[in-house]
Amino acid sequence: MSFALRRLAHSLFVLWAVVTILFLMFRLMPGNPLAAYINEQLSEDDQRLIMAQFGLNRPLYEQYVIYLWNLVQGNLGMSFFRREPVWDVLKSALPNTLILTITGLVIAYIFGILTGAWLATKRGTLAEAVIVPAALATRAAPEFWIGMILLTIFAFTFGWFPSGGANSAGAAYTSEWDRILSRDYALHLVLPALTLALYLQGLPLLLMRSTMLEILHDEFITMAKIKGLSPWRITIHHAARNALLPVATAFALGLGATLGGNVVVETVFSWPGLGRLLVAAVSQSDYPLAQGAFFLISLVLIILNLIVDLVYGWLDPRVSHG
Amino acid sequence: MSRSFSRRQALIITGATTLLSTTALTPLAFAQAAGDPVRKIVLITDTQGAAPQAYQAGQLIAQAWKQLGLDVEARPMARQAQTDLVWFNRDKWDTTMWRMVGRPERSDPDEMTFNLFHSSTAPRGFNFVGYNSPEYDKVAEQQRQTVDPAARQNLIKQAQQIVSRDAPYAFLVHPNTLQAFNQNVFDPASIVVQKGVGIRNFWTFIGATPKGTQKAMIINSGTALQAIHPLYIAGAPDSWMNELIWDRLVRIGPDGLPRPWAAESFKFVDDKTVDVVIRGDMTFHDGKPVTIDDVIFSFEAPLTTDKSPMFKPFVTDIDRIEKTGERAMRIHLKRINAAFATTALGRVFIVPKHVWEPHLKSVEGKPDTLESIRDPMNVGSGPFRQVRARLNEEVVIERHAGHWAAPKVDRVVLRVIPNAEAVVGMVRSGEINLLSEYGGDPDVLEKLSKDNPAIKLTQVTDVGIEFMAFNNRRPPFDDPVFRSALSAAIDRNVLIQAAWNGYAVESVTHVSPAIAFWHSTDVKAPATGIALAKSILEKAGYKVEGGRLRYPPGKKETLQPPG
Repeated sequence: MSFALRRLAHSLFVLWAVVTILFLMFRLMPGNPLAAYINEQLSEDDQRLIMAQFGLNRPLYEQYVIYLWNLVQGNLGMSFFRREPVWDVLKSALPNTLILTITGLVIAYIFGILTGAWLATKRGTLAEAVIVPAALATRAAPEFWIGMILLTIFAFTFGWFPSGGANSAGAAYTSEWDRILSRDYALHLVLPALTLALYLQGLPLLLMRSTMLEILHDEFITMAKIKGLSPWRITIHHAARNALLPVATAFALGLGATLGGNVVVETVFSWPGLGRLLVAAVSQSDYPLAQGAFFLISLVLIILNLIVDLVYGWLDPRVSHG
Repeated sequence: MSRSFSRRQALIITGATTLLSTTALTPLAFAQAAGDPVRKIVLITDTQGAAPQAYQAGQLIAQAWKQLGLDVEARPMARQAQTDLVWFNRDKWDTTMWRMVGRPERSDPDEMTFNLFHSSTAPRGFNFVGYNSPEYDKVAEQQRQTVDPAARQNLIKQAQQIVSRDAPYAFLVHPNTLQAFNQNVFDPASIVVQKGVGIRNFWTFIGATPKGTQKAMIINSGTALQAIHPLYIAGAPDSWMNELIWDRLVRIGPDGLPRPWAAESFKFVDDKTVDVVIRGDMTFHDGKPVTIDDVIFSFEAPLTTDKSPMFKPFVTDIDRIEKTGERAMRIHLKRINAAFATTALGRVFIVPKHVWEPHLKSVEGKPDTLESIRDPMNVGSGPFRQVRARLNEEVVIERHAGHWAAPKVDRVVLRVIPNAEAVVGMVRSGEINLLSEYGGDPDVLEKLSKDNPAIKLTQVTDVGIEFMAFNNRRPPFDDPVFRSALSAAIDRNVLIQAAWNGYAVESVTHVSPAIAFWHSTDVKAPATGIALAKSILEKAGYKVEGGRLRYPPGKKETLQPPG
């Protein structure tokens, strides 16, 4: 229990550090948020008015205290450019990003884990000689390139999938759930999720394979072999289960990292997600929106880390008592 | 006081000057030591990703200037950082690539003439280069106060000549706007090409006639929208939607001239009084009639309060507004403004008073403005009503059947597609049927049109300009001869071919040939060439020593290169 509390306190400290860095980073960055507001006749008074409206005329420490207090209350502020609450802007993009990221990651990890485990048993075979370089090449290829290839083949040439967006033009739905669960949405999801999965599968595949190779030489595997267990049972029940621990960590971290790093896939497929929003917010110096988006991503990452730590502690008691 | 020379006189003067400089002045120049070497010049460009054409042009220009003996650093900057430096730190940069984008309201030359170069806008406004010419100021002021079109045309042309002579900028190109539509979906005769703007314009949106069962117009934008709002100016695609949802008293016609719209008529009673009569058959999207009180409220909200700061500049010339009838009002101006119809009547949106007056009261005494208030229904009186807006993804507006000029299409769907290649695929597959903007390779689009006869390509010269702005405050750019020489070193044809792939025309003045009535054909493209640029510099006393260009004798370098 004290381990869990210690981890929770640690996570809260990291969260505070992140929000503080976020606050300072955007304010110390060169660039004036008013630069994007330029109107040929916007007077000095009008500029002052806009500064006052967003509290930019207050001293930095005051802005910081207000920012922290708002955050504690769940208020992420008002976007400079959208002129609406940051949460409202983020929540329109968050479901699309979560669905794309989770679908891509799940496909990548299921494929990576199974193929990695299988490859570990195929040392020195043709399968290894073909699949490992292929996985590495796909991992190393730029996402936009993979995306454009898939678009060219499956959208432009065969017309099997749409070329972009999350829904067909003008499609109407009764609710957000109705939209997300529609066949149209699923069809739009296929190519971006596949691109993401192709890009992400290399890590779980290679990690699983190398961990499996180590474990397959452990004494308890030799013992299992002596006991006369079938190779399948040894691979899946004994080796693969143990090899999953680092892959599980990679999944949790990958989810957090991919959540905010989908800019390329989102741009290639015109997918209305958090990544594009984040880039636009940073380039416009829309502090509240950029901070809010980074905060959300950090929060997800920290929570996932916490969960992984706790689960690790439960799976392997040496971690919690170490 | 303005001077004008005939070509013959100019040649005589140039010849005499050349003779003098080579006979009398040259020995004197030889007698004196050359001035200090010109410091390193920093040329700011856009980043390659953000504006590949401008970036490429900047690189080519830097190479040309190096041939004059200048140490030039072409420094790419993100747009925001570039704007921040150029706009808010006016004495801390040398020269920068810049652009004025084409907008329908820029079809009137006032903004380009007055705001860009009048000295009053130098400290904070659009004259960020700090050009200061009392002669020019006078002409720019006169054109604003001259209501007679022929007399004003003359003044606008004079202004172009002065700018051409003084070279506060090196004008580069007017880009060509490349767009396309599917002529199997829309009757080509119903697609309107607006001068300087192209086919994505108000008149196409209301006039495009579907040929078959496809009744929706599907257009694209490369960037997400920020806000659909009648009192807030955000990005370009936002304004496309705004002007369809909210009506204006006046709209800029396909010819670039203002024409009555929600105003049945507007008339200058005298130089400073305008009578406006509105139409009697207008309704808002919620069914309520549009009254003269709504129109007066729409102008008075930015005029009499500080709650609509972005629209305030459009009404600054208004002194007061008086209701003179059930459908009539009289606008009293503080000063004469020849472009009033375009810059005020053609800019302010008519908003429903019954929706916005309570909002205005709710922000009284608070730092908030109307810009952060949302009307979820976005009630306007324009030819389209909003159906839904997912600003990162798609906006859908539908035909307002009760409008007196109801559109022919049922709906307009604006899709946010940042990938230019995907846009081409979508045009081919019919997922987009009017390509409203395109940032990709023009040849790809040309090929698409050749392979698919249904895809009709259109190309117009933009009202906007791409130019190299010189910081007129900082030596050596404070010297018009130096600026002219640098301008002469730039081969515009090379830029057009190498940077704009041939999709641009040479720019010689700040008034685009797209608005032919105001464009001066008397101002010719200056001769260019490195040899010519060198000779201009030499005649003014600049000298190359040890491969470095030096100031004229006695001139010290007082500045450091921008950090």
